[in-house]
Amino acid sequence: MTDEYGNIWAYTLKWAYTLLVVVTLMTPVFYVMYISFNENGFGAAEYVFTFDWYRVILEDKLLLAALKDTGILTIITTIIVVPFGLLAAKFYKRTRYKVLTVSLLLSPLFVPSDILGSALLVFFKNLSKTFEALSDWLGNEWFYGWFDLGYMTAIIGLVIYTLPYVFVVILITMGRYREQQTEAARACGAGAWQAFWHVEFPQIRAGIFSSGAFAIILSFNEYTRTSLLKGGYDTFTTVLISQFLNEGMSAQSYAMSSAVSFFAIAVIGSVIIYTLFRSEKLDRLARDKAQPVMSS
Amino acid sequence: MNASETPAVEVQGLSKSYGSVRALNGVEVSIGAGEYFVLLGPSGGGKTTLLRTIGGFVKPSAGKVLLHGYDVSALPPDKRPTTMVFQSYALFPHMSVARNVGYGLRIKKLASKEIRERVDAMLELVGLAGYGERMPHELSGGQQQRVQLARSLVLDRDILLLDEPLAALDANLRKDMCLELKRLQETVGITFVHVTHNQEEAMTVADRIAIIADGKLVEAGTARDIYEHPVKRFTADFVGENNILDGTLAAADGSKATIDLGFGRVDVPIDDDVATEGAPASFSIRSELLKLFPAEGKLPNGTQALNGTYDEAVYLGLTISHMVSLPNGAAIIVRNIADAAEHQKFERAQPVRIVWTMTSAHLHTS
Amino acid sequence: MSNNNAETVVELDSVDKIEGGRWQPAPPTFLGQVLGENGLGRWALYLPVAFLLLFFLIPLALTYVWSVFERTQFWMKPGFTLFSYINFFTSARLENFLISMGHSAIAAAIAFVFGFPIAVFVRRRIPEVVQHRVILLFILPFMVSEIIRVFALRPVLGRNGLVNSVLIDLGVISEPITSILFTPTGVIIGEVLSFLPFMVFAGFLAMEVVPKYVFEICDDLGAGRIRTFVDVILPLAAPGIFAGGVFIFVNGLGVALLPNVLGGPGAVNAGLIATQAITALDFPLAMAVSAIMMTTLLALLYLGHRLFDLTKILTPFS
Repeated sequence: MTDEYGNIWAYTLKWAYTLLVVVTLMTPVFYVMYISFNENGFGAAEYVFTFDWYRVILEDKLLLAALKDTGILTIITTIIVVPFGLLAAKFYKRTRYKVLTVSLLLSPLFVPSDILGSALLVFFKNLSKTFEALSDWLGNEWFYGWFDLGYMTAIIGLVIYTLPYVFVVILITMGRYREQQTEAARACGAGAWQAFWHVEFPQIRAGIFSSGAFAIILSFNEYTRTSLLKGGYDTFTTVLISQFLNEGMSAQSYAMSSAVSFFAIAVIGSVIIYTLFRSEKLDRLARDKAQPVMSS
Repeated sequence: MNASETPAVEVQGLSKSYGSVRALNGVEVSIGAGEYFVLLGPSGGGKTTLLRTIGGFVKPSAGKVLLHGYDVSALPPDKRPTTMVFQSYALFPHMSVARNVGYGLRIKKLASKEIRERVDAMLELVGLAGYGERMPHELSGGQQQRVQLARSLVLDRDILLLDEPLAALDANLRKDMCLELKRLQETVGITFVHVTHNQEEAMTVADRIAIIADGKLVEAGTARDIYEHPVKRFTADFVGENNILDGTLAAADGSKATIDLGFGRVDVPIDDDVATEGAPASFSIRSELLKLFPAEGKLPNGTQALNGTYDEAVYLGLTISHMVSLPNGAAIIVRNIADAAEHQKFERAQPVRIVWTMTSAHLHTS
Repeated sequence: MSNNNAETVVELDSVDKIEGGRWQPAPPTFLGQVLGENGLGRWALYLPVAFLLLFFLIPLALTYVWSVFERTQFWMKPGFTLFSYINFFTSARLENFLISMGHSAIAAAIAFVFGFPIAVFVRRRIPEVVQHRVILLFILPFMVSEIIRVFALRPVLGRNGLVNSVLIDLGVISEPITSILFTPTGVIIGEVLSFLPFMVFAGFLAMEVVPKYVFEICDDLGAGRIRTFVDVILPLAAPGIFAGGVFIFVNGLGVALLPNVLGGPGAVNAGLIATQAITALDFPLAMAVSAIMMTTLLALLYLGHRLFDLTKILTPFS
């Protein structure tokens, strides 16, 4: 439905502007990637292409340990937040208080990371102390250490951070699904869970997996809340930051940044491309369905 | 109670409110086993809500649903002896026709061979033999509804609910599908409960019809009863083309009542005692039972008449409708078959009389 | 499940067939009972909301409470004192805080100017089926960790950085510009680049509320581009624009990373003050700063709601 009478030059110009903005946003990252392949690092006069720095970081034990911990956090967060997002989307569809619900679910977006991180830090410390007092009062150690900073507290912070995004993606996906199909499945004898699994899930699967990919990338990349809430161990991002702050931008940090950015872009890029092709198929199906009804 | 007397569906005192909106208001309905029962009514009147409550998709605010004598009010849809056909978009798009139809059987964990046999038999019954491997989006609207029917009937349940199943089809297809549905119900023999707002559809398929409006049951009866002898004013207004005039009850004795319309009086036959004198009453008569006579002249015996002014005629192919205005401004339609011999031509603004036999009219006190 | 009529009191799960022999309900499974609609399953839907209530709303609400506690050497003790607030408002921190507010506001405005036209363009001129994919392009920068994007600005904006190298090579300037990095300008640039995708998304969502025929009517009526924009688009899209603006503003104030990495010496924002306070184990102060931030956010949202009825943004979600 492009405007047929529109000025073709204006259109091209605006397209170019849009692409320019995207490129500008990506430029710093691409530049970092460019530097990461330079044997002489940043600011050197001569550019020598090499994979050396990547080899170095792959052997960095501290980094690998951090990667493992980050991976654990990321996976567990995603396993929790995707079903949460699904439940939240279903809750939203059924509740009468829609505005309130959406506001609550989107509100983590409006609370900056440092503020939320600080508040949660104090909250958890207080909870820990309260539980410890409870334990002392009961005369045992049952409730010790429940909310000490560690995996669980970091995961709670990450789930709060990623929930709005997952919620929105799943909600938009479910927008295309028709509730009648669940009802039809129930009318065929399927229980609530069976109806969801056999009929609804196959149709919203793509959205759920996209939201999962989204959640993985977001929680992997997250820094502030994680650093405040994680306790003793290191995550990828905290290692990265401490390197930045202590050694400045070393060649390793360029390589680390580039590696993880490339990975993230590749994952989302393929999700986008996949949904591109999927959309073609869906459009074709929609066209078929929309054909005028034939008498038969 | 033995099985043949127990109604298949019995709804007692059913009410449903959404916030401050009353969708159903104390509805009582009884549907016999093996009947083709139609819930007919205007949009938003509550008929779909009633159907969905019977099916278990809506929880009533008050009242009970009894299926074959058992109280199912607390049961979800999959645990009731009902199954449902929806208006549209209810086939599972990611499954083939055969897998759609066989879905309920798979849930029951039947053997694949048996599932295949039953699915094939059912597809044959609905006229879609050989369509097993097609996908839903490859089918036309009518075919999709047939697959839905197959999917529901293969489950061998006692009661089939249909929620405006023909609403998304065009008029010609609808006529054919009506007859198909009737034939299917007679073949399979189970109870059908069918919701529609389309009169013709209702009269084609139904054994009995219930008029549902404003969340209440207005009237129930066979198609003939509803059409020829409506009890409630609403029924007369909704079914068939009735002329309705409102007035007050002037007098009533055993077999006849007189209604005062303000500009004239008419007599209507009654069965027994009705409301008190002075109460509001309405008079209805079907447009095809009226005849037009000139303003002067003798009328046949046993007829009633009202004076009016002729407006115009509208030719509709099979029928012609004559529009007449009464002294109080009310518009009357007189309808007859277009090429009947006793067709008279009148002119605009010509005084005429509308004439009918007294027994053709009805009294409505509610 | 049974009705009051004595002769038909039956538990339906145990009835195999109705007389006439047609119907058998599927046997209930134990797991189905426990997790199903009548068991725990009914409460499952409330889980995410309860989670947010417990771990999001309550801690944030409690910041107000903790902000009036007294500070102890390693922690704090319950009490009521406005010491932290007085400390904040009478120190240089207040001035820095207000300056950073100004910077954030500027960043939000710049992001609007550069980003919103893109949303309008996509919504108006691009075929509907492709619109979402174009918007998805803006997810790409968002997928790179914010810390990387922010730190990456150092080699780009710095003295020997990309921008300077290119400008010198092109002969535009002869000396490197040193006033971009480690200055408020750098912070603002960092904010704009970090949050521009959000402005595009928010703008796009805001524009979803504007139906296409509105543009056609404007064209029909011969309205110039600027008139169309000011009189028609802005008012309709205002809720979304405002939400996007608030988002950028609040995050600009609250993300410690930005002034920490890109700002000059002494550059702070609320977020940095809070995290510095925590590092210094002055928890009530950190909570006071958080409380002030939350109040600012709530005030802005309330203001926006009164002006624009922000609930309109949520219509695409119904």
